[in-house]
Amino acid sequence: MALRPLRPSWVAIGLLAMVTLLLAGCSGAAMTPSSWPGVSADSTTAYIANNQAVYAVDLATGAERWRFPAQPDRAIALFATPTLTDDGLVILGGFNRVVYALKASDGSVAWQFAKAKDRYIGGAAVAGELVLVPCADHTLYALQRASGALVWSFKTKAPLWAAPLVEGETVYLPAQDHNLYALEARTGKLIWSQDLGGALSDTPVLTGGSLLAGTFGQGLAAVDARAGKPVWTVPTDGWVWGNPATDAVAAYFGDLAGTARAVSLKDGSTLWTFQPGAPVVASPALGDGVVYFVSSGGLIQARATSDGASKWEVTLAGPTDTDPLLTGDVLLVAVSSSPDVLLAALDPATGATRWTFAPAK
Amino acid sequence: MWDTVILNPMVNSLLWIYDVLGHNFGLAIIVFTALIRLVTLPLTLQQQRSTQKMQELQGTKAWQDMQKKFKGDKQKLQEEQLKLYKEVGFNPLSGCLPTVIQLPIIFGLYGAVIRALATSPAQLLELSKHLYAFIPSSIFPLNSQFLYMNLGQPERLYLPFLPNIGIPVLTVLVVISTYFQNKLMTPPSADAQGAQMTKVMALYMPLLLGYFAYTLASGLALYFVVSNLLAIVQYAGMGKGKIDFKKLLSFGGTAPQKPKR
Repeated sequence: MALRPLRPSWVAIGLLAMVTLLLAGCSGAAMTPSSWPGVSADSTTAYIANNQAVYAVDLATGAERWRFPAQPDRAIALFATPTLTDDGLVILGGFNRVVYALKASDGSVAWQFAKAKDRYIGGAAVAGELVLVPCADHTLYALQRASGALVWSFKTKAPLWAAPLVEGETVYLPAQDHNLYALEARTGKLIWSQDLGGALSDTPVLTGGSLLAGTFGQGLAAVDARAGKPVWTVPTDGWVWGNPATDAVAAYFGDLAGTARAVSLKDGSTLWTFQPGAPVVASPALGDGVVYFVSSGGLIQARATSDGASKWEVTLAGPTDTDPLLTGDVLLVAVSSSPDVLLAALDPATGATRWTFAPAK
Repeated sequence: MWDTVILNPMVNSLLWIYDVLGHNFGLAIIVFTALIRLVTLPLTLQQQRSTQKMQELQGTKAWQDMQKKFKGDKQKLQEEQLKLYKEVGFNPLSGCLPTVIQLPIIFGLYGAVIRALATSPAQLLELSKHLYAFIPSSIFPLNSQFLYMNLGQPERLYLPFLPNIGIPVLTVLVVISTYFQNKLMTPPSADAQGAQMTKVMALYMPLLLGYFAYTLASGLALYFVVSNLLAIVQYAGMGKGKIDFKKLLSFGGTAPQKPKR
């Protein structure tokens, strides 16, 4: 049988077709906005933002109450932790550069703000009559809580991926430009800033006059809240993405190298550690003498705060990079990339599943 | 396997260059693309020689006579073409083999730019899993500003007198440079059908890459433009010393060459 020679034009067309398919595949991945769900809750309802919608879920039963938008909208992409206000609003920004204030009762839009130049990744914070929304366009927007009108803005040198911490009249803003900023809540005027040597991607925690902030590459840093000066640092092998949970004696946190640990609030010395077997992105949740760690492998682990001894552990069907939330009598854990479970309510004492929620299509 | 052998080394090289060049991601993309072009130069040279040899072969009287003689018998024509290839010592695969070998590198480069930009939490988390120890954490997040562009966003130029109209400059450059590059690199077709297909592809690829440039992060568009320009410069440097601008500006597929005696 004679070998048929290849025609150059067919070879070229074949190669170009391959290029097209592969580039199309790659571009699809590039275009898909990707993060993990954002979860918050009040006494009766859990709110979970996951890509094309935010869902209100009954805390007692796991039944869906409403969703926004009512029909899936690929352009929106919501991942920020929904922020709840005293006057019944659920506020969050989307990858479509719009901040939505939804009525908690039915999910209808109370107002929206659409003047940002990039996506919203982190959740918002309430400061009196203001809502502070961090944006990837390097700007913290202070909006009127009632109307969404812009009051002031504060510009940093890199994207903002995390909600600020509001304490009295001061706003502590973690930024990816490696700085922790202290601002006046009413005006946005800078009080101090401190370079912590690595990007900050979660809200700092205030305890005993110190701010604790996780960094990319420089471990966990404790900074004096009044003066902005470093107090101590805990070096880690991996990036510290989530903020720590704290009680009176210790801070509990994990890193991307897959180590969970408890450190002393006094000097940052290590009290105990364990290896969850996967990167720890999320901040742990703290219960009565128990700390709940979740890791990217889908493993949920309850550990005694005193010595890190295991109380129980369960594995869910997908990565769990969202901060777990202890509310009422359930531990809420969001699951990424699972068709069967988006939100699971676990018994904090045993890890048994009370209910799971997955949006109906 | 893909990540370990191709993508991770490329991502980390790109990030290392970014660190060395003072945290300028646009410059890092340009230098990285140039380095990759340099590394794959032997393959490109081989492909270029093969294309020229094919062009010369198609320009011979023997080739043209054969096309006329077996016009109605494709099977026979292919057999005769194969005989002629053997006679002159030309391997028809020698032209496409270097391209096939280069494809993983091209895709790796493309993937490296996407992965390194990491503009969302999941992308950055994924990137963090593939970093080598010598990449300092302090370089994150990458400074994606280059000239007037945010390399993580689609590019638009806003002129002072047209503040509300974004001009996609890079998209236009991608379309033009891809068109010219394809025009130069695609070998002439041996028959009318092949020429027609080449013509379609010559239009299709610039429009496809132009669409990507218009809608995706401008870091990719920058890579497309630099890669195309370097390919054209390489062609000019390795070819007969000059670019045939008449051929370059002619619209459509490349017709078979006139026979040489």
